Amino acid sequence: MSTSTLRGRRRSQLGILLGPASAFLAIFFLCPLLIMLVYSFLEPGLYGGAEWAFYPDNYGRILGFANPEFEDYDPVYISIFLRSLKIALITVAATLLVCYPAAFQISRLPDRWKNFALFLITLPFFASLIVRLFIWVLILKKTGFANMVLAGLHIVSHPLELIYTEGAIIVGMVYVFIPFMFLPVYASVEKLDWSLVRASQDLGANGFQTFWRVIFPLTLPGVVGGSIIVFIPALGNFIVPAVLGGAKVMMLGNLIEQQFLGARNWPFGAALAMLVMAAVLAILFFYIRFEARRGDDAPVLR
Amino acid sequence: MGSLRNVGVVGLFGYTILFFTFIYLPIVLIVAYSFNSDPINMMNWSGFTFDWYRQIFGLKNTVSENALYIESTEQLLNALRNSLTVAAFTTTIATVLGTATALGLYRFNFLGKKFYRVLLFAPMLMPDIVLGIALLIFFVGADVSLGLKTIIIGQCSFLISYVFIVVSARLAGMDRSLENASADLGADEWTTFRRIILPQAMPGVIGGALLAFIISMDDLVITYFISGVDTQTLPIFIFGMLRRGIKPEINAIATLMLLFSFAVASLGLYFRSRRG
Repeated sequence: MSTSTLRGRRRSQLGILLGPASAFLAIFFLCPLLIMLVYSFLEPGLYGGAEWAFYPDNYGRILGFANPEFEDYDPVYISIFLRSLKIALITVAATLLVCYPAAFQISRLPDRWKNFALFLITLPFFASLIVRLFIWVLILKKTGFANMVLAGLHIVSHPLELIYTEGAIIVGMVYVFIPFMFLPVYASVEKLDWSLVRASQDLGANGFQTFWRVIFPLTLPGVVGGSIIVFIPALGNFIVPAVLGGAKVMMLGNLIEQQFLGARNWPFGAALAMLVMAAVLAILFFYIRFEARRGDDAPVLR
Repeated sequence: MGSLRNVGVVGLFGYTILFFTFIYLPIVLIVAYSFNSDPINMMNWSGFTFDWYRQIFGLKNTVSENALYIESTEQLLNALRNSLTVAAFTTTIATVLGTATALGLYRFNFLGKKFYRVLLFAPMLMPDIVLGIALLIFFVGADVSLGLKTIIIGQCSFLISYVFIVVSARLAGMDRSLENASADLGADEWTTFRRIILPQAMPGVIGGALLAFIISMDDLVITYFISGVDTQTLPIFIFGMLRRGIKPEINAIATLMLLFSFAVASLGLYFRSRRG
């Protein structure tokens, strides 16, 4: 008797604890995503909204087939997608390049300084994103700080066009994503077994070989993890290109925003968003495979 | 060989100095220039002034009448009020639901628990813009008028996950033997929960709530899509200002916001250091 009531009570406790959040997420997270998926296959309505008809041409406009009666396949969309991919990848590489050496230095500091350095790196994460981006407008614009410094040092005679370029977008993204990359990379570097590095040197490996064959593989989990959490928000980003790219450099995020708030072609915008999501899911899939393989290798290494 | 090593050490040290300069120079610049009196070229230092701060609070200042830059103090304060209202609600809801979920997964085993855990990570990994437009389609389809209500709901859909993760991390580091001891000493489940589990989980709950509050105050992308035309939060107000052209008092607003978030963050880190 008592076991069954006990089990019943435990079940109701579990229901009370998990029920509300599960219901909330089912309704306001999963449900909207499913509707968006359906929406991306609907025919765009004449005045915004959608008609209830199967219409794969939303994807066709992007990927190369289209219904010529209404709209044409336009390679501009795929080129915007490729540009976004390129900018996101460069951002990942640049962020890694900025964070990796600093992680080594900081991991070797005495504890007190180490904690202070980590505090300084995480602090900007708490500051408003839009404020941190805005600062770069002031730095990069034609009469901005960067041009003032360059002119003051007589490096340039005319102010350079720094803002509203792909480079400006990348600098802005690197700046806001540093904590995302630094913390996972640092976690790996911190755990690095330096006796393996010394062993490699004793066995006659030069600096490059030691780095490439020992240090880098050992810190790879942090590098991969950091790269993924930088890549995901970078790919579909629309704030950074809107602020630092102006109207000149368009990324996927801006295109999606236009479809929803300007052109009012929601099904097409939903199809573009699905493209972003597909790219993210592909990356996560590879990450899970990577993690699983690493798990298999671990006993062998030990 | 030894000198080469020294070059490497010095190089790495110099690099790290550059690294921190890259992070903090922009912040120092914005604070400094928020006191610059030149109203046309913000980067041209022409004297020290508090005018931009006076301006945003609607106080009298020496900026001439025809150089009134800010849309209106009213709008700014309204945006701030909206942000605080939204953050108060989202922090409460997300903290309660996220903590409950973390406790549920901590105390009980059930079929599909692993899968459920993965599902809870999904809102954090979802690109902002995807979730933003999905919510927009959803709310418009359900005929809900966009405004504070939709912003609160939309933000909670990903903030719950953040709180869940912070509280779970705290629970995972907890000493289970105390729970067993409490049960052995005859405490019922509720007492054990109230006197043992909850006090130990508390730093995690506070940390999760602070994180939720900060992210809520700062959220731009998702809020942007589901706020409707009449409702502005602080980040959206600033985003709008940036798109219309930059005005000098934005430096002062930015400085105040930096000050505020650094204060909240320091508070959070203080709590964390106390728990260690």
